[in-house]
Amino acid sequence: MTAIETRDLRKSYGNLQALKGVSLEVEEGEFFGLLGPNGAGKTTFISILVGLVRKTGGEARVFGHDVEDDYREARDAIGLAPQEFNVDRFFPIREVLVHKAGYHGVPKDVAEERADEALRTVGIYDKRDTRFHWLSGGMKRRFMLARAMVTDPDLLILDEPTAGVDVQLRHDLWNIITRMNEEGTTVLLTTHYIEEAERLCDRVAILDEGEVVEVSSPDELMGRGKDTVRVSLAEPLDAVPASLDGDYETRVEDGELVVETRNAGGTLAEVMRALDDEGREVVDVEMSRTSLEEIFVDMTRNHDDVTRTPEGET
Amino acid sequence: MNLALPIGFKTLMRREVLRYVRRPRNTFLPPLITNVLYFSVFGVILGNRVGEIQGVSYILFLLPGLVVLGAISNSFENSSFSIFHGRWNEYIQATTTSPISHTQMVLAYVLSSAFRGVLIGILIALVGAVFTPVTVRHPFYLVAFMAVITTLFAGLGVIGGLWARDFDYLTVMNQFILRPLVFFGGVFYSLEILPPLWTYVSLLNPMVYMVNGVRYGFLGAETVDVGPNAALVVLSTAAVAVVVFDIFLFRRGYGLTE
Repeated sequence: MTAIETRDLRKSYGNLQALKGVSLEVEEGEFFGLLGPNGAGKTTFISILVGLVRKTGGEARVFGHDVEDDYREARDAIGLAPQEFNVDRFFPIREVLVHKAGYHGVPKDVAEERADEALRTVGIYDKRDTRFHWLSGGMKRRFMLARAMVTDPDLLILDEPTAGVDVQLRHDLWNIITRMNEEGTTVLLTTHYIEEAERLCDRVAILDEGEVVEVSSPDELMGRGKDTVRVSLAEPLDAVPASLDGDYETRVEDGELVVETRNAGGTLAEVMRALDDEGREVVDVEMSRTSLEEIFVDMTRNHDDVTRTPEGET
Repeated sequence: MNLALPIGFKTLMRREVLRYVRRPRNTFLPPLITNVLYFSVFGVILGNRVGEIQGVSYILFLLPGLVVLGAISNSFENSSFSIFHGRWNEYIQATTTSPISHTQMVLAYVLSSAFRGVLIGILIALVGAVFTPVTVRHPFYLVAFMAVITTLFAGLGVIGGLWARDFDYLTVMNQFILRPLVFFGGVFYSLEILPPLWTYVSLLNPMVYMVNGVRYGFLGAETVDVGPNAALVVLSTAAVAVVVFDIFLFRRGYGLTE
């Protein structure tokens, strides 16, 4: 079943088009990432799903339920951890969770059990009687996840869940989210952290200026990157040796030979043979792989080049 | 699918009631002190000089008006503050992104706020009972008018809470609109003492009929010549209309969605 389905989803704020016809499908049980620079439309996209933003056009469905016509069914399926802290300040955090579960129709006694379980899962059970604003920054982030999970959602939507948290907490949160996904919860994650998407997501959509640039698995995206082989020689090069004419790009930088290729293993052997034939002594070889981050930056930059007019308008 | 309708509504209702019940220093103590002052100064000190109005002591005449003043102010303040504070700090999103229906959300905000108004009304009547024996001549009308007027103002508070863009808006609504209408609505005086022109002008003020109705419930006497049934029908219609409008605003996402 399709967990999220949008067709030509549009949202305008006056003259600003935040979403310009986004069509996406996220399958049930999938761990799906939304990547994009600031202002790409990621938060607008998820806000439409939960009813915080009204779409201007197109369709959006959650588990087959239209987010406006069948808003109750759609919202019941969703657990949301927004980027901004928006927690009830009048009540201790355990009670905030009991209320949230109650809003989703969970009876009070069950809601209390779920609240305790959620707080234990994220590791702040001992703070259960504390109000949100007295928690540390990391605990606040943990609580946001607890609130999203307390309704036992079929779809967990996490908007920048690890923004500004330390490495340890980031890994803790990753473990919790991954476990939920393994237990069947569909996860939609927006993030700036490419590493996060690479580690967690089955597929990612790259969003830029309100448009989907690409939908792919992190591995597929990585496959589009190039390996770079940098060869240092005993005598610096002035020009690329003429014998290097394979299916790769070569250049000389600071007297070193730089080769960009999609197959570093095969290319390196070929390059080494050619250099040896020319009697050049190799003193060092460095190989590096294009990071997903570089691919991401490259894709969004290329997209900007295509969509921007000379005046910078889209 | 967890769509047991009443649980979401009951949870929001409980949350709203607990919010003010647990903060008596902010919610119950101020009207308690204010009304002790009202009864002391206007009822006892000035009241002894005023004598009787419509056959009852001034302090007893005053009591229904003060009950109305406290009840509707608190009903209005509760729903407007609760919604606006939730919007301001965005935690209302936990409610608005939940599967509770728009109608149930509105009813939870309105009924919990009306309940606060009724509680404050009872509190003021109890304070009044310390100063003078309180009678209830028409309990049905008293209960009915209290229920209707607190619902009406709780509903208006919802509109205010959705409309407000800053805390100043709430102050403006309460201090510059609500309070003058109540003060000129016959809380502290009988319309009979006014010149004819101002009596007619006063009759355009809906508060007159609210004070009148509650006064009828307590004392059995009316200040203006409008039957309690007619006033009750008009006020009930207004309350229903306001609540329906609240539901319309929630459906439209006014003040809640972008």
